[in-house]
Amino acid sequence: MSPSSSRTRNIFEPLDTSFVADLWGERFGIPSSAFAGFTFFRKANSVWAANEAILPRLSYEAIGMRIMNLKDRPWKPTTSALQVFGRHATRNLIHLDSANSRSFMEGKTLAIESDSESGYVVVFYRGEVLGCGLYSHGKLVSQIPKERRMASSKNGAEESADQNAKDEVASEMPIDMR
Amino acid sequence: MEWLERYRDLIPDFDGFRAVQSQALPSSCRINTLKIERCALLDRFAENGIDYQSFNWYPLGLKLDMESPGKLVENLSGFIHIQEELSMVPPLVLDPQPGELVLDLCASPGSKTCQISQMMKNLGRVIANEPSLARIAPLRSNCERLGVMNVAITRYDGRRFPSRPVQFDRVLVDAPCSSEGRERRGPGVLCKSSSKRSMDLHRLQADLLRNAIRLTKPGGIVVYSTCTYAPEENELVIESVLETARLERISIPGLLACPGITEWGGINLNHEVEKTARYYPHLNDTGGFFVAKLIKNQEYI
Repeated sequence: MSPSSSRTRNIFEPLDTSFVADLWGERFGIPSSAFAGFTFFRKANSVWAANEAILPRLSYEAIGMRIMNLKDRPWKPTTSALQVFGRHATRNLIHLDSANSRSFMEGKTLAIESDSESGYVVVFYRGEVLGCGLYSHGKLVSQIPKERRMASSKNGAEESADQNAKDEVASEMPIDMR
Repeated sequence: MEWLERYRDLIPDFDGFRAVQSQALPSSCRINTLKIERCALLDRFAENGIDYQSFNWYPLGLKLDMESPGKLVENLSGFIHIQEELSMVPPLVLDPQPGELVLDLCASPGSKTCQISQMMKNLGRVIANEPSLARIAPLRSNCERLGVMNVAITRYDGRRFPSRPVQFDRVLVDAPCSSEGRERRGPGVLCKSSSKRSMDLHRLQADLLRNAIRLTKPGGIVVYSTCTYAPEENELVIESVLETARLERISIPGLLACPGITEWGGINLNHEVEKTARYYPHLNDTGGFFVAKLIKNQEYI
């Protein structure tokens, strides 16, 4: 991946499956077989996945699903992508109980003890992938996109407390991840 | 509302039609089989105490008796998609098959695109075209939430969508229209209606449909749909392309339809347009819709 390639031209460039499979294998223990039948593209700092099928020569706004963001370190998987590939994860995953799963879907930060490494994790409830979380030092910050969050059951004051907790964890992250 | 008076002789039980306009449209959703099986979704609904009623013409369509069904966790997680009942008709008529190459020419916000994708089991390719940049985001967001992998999005003016390098097996033209059939979703759409507006839209719609037929393989299928009653935007558009494609009659068991009209404004139309389908809100307790199924002539390249 030369630094001047897709980033500057802002077009979809084919990407080797191994690029994606290696990163997802390393972080989540997902076997490379999980990515068979898909084709991958890079556009600027994002990676996209689509099924293998004809792709006419046209100018595209999107191809399949955006699955990862490479802009920051560590790279970040999208919630949509985890819902497709995340069920194959064997490490850095967290299972929630009923109450916590609701809070997670509301976009909140949870106090959770896990043996996961700091960084992005696959969050499950009853064997189903809810989406992406950011785990560090006993805190799990929901990464569910705003438009897919459940309405909050708590009042505004606690909301802003949650926001503070989130900012706190977020600001800790780069140091932890170094 | 007075605008609708021009349809008095065209719509059966016109008073019933007028009466239903003031009643809010029931909410409905489609089960997204890309993410969940129908029985598993129904189990979830039962467990969470969510009342529903299956459509009697489509097992994946459910009426929901609730406000804000969009906030259901099943919707946020992509197990269901909130979609108007009749909006599920055009993809069924299009009948896309796994592995085919399909074009949705006027795609956003993507309810029909995603239904097409699920009918194709995430195989083959759906090109979802949407000219408006602002409408690309909701289209993308719906595709990603619903776990769609076989859709690629383009942003061409549908009238000039490039005819090379390939031709499509099937094309859906869910055309921009005067939306008269959406009055039950929120009064106000009718105040913009006029003959001039419908004739302006007619030109755009006819251009879109002409290009859609050009983009289809000989013998391929083009479905044209609108959510309006205006004959200028429906039968008159279809009539303008009958040299390049033939109509096939639409029949969906369990859903009451009226045949296309063959006379408007004192002028007789090509009798073939009677094979199109008009759906009226008072006959099925839905919105209003028009759907036509065309087969591109073999000899027309």
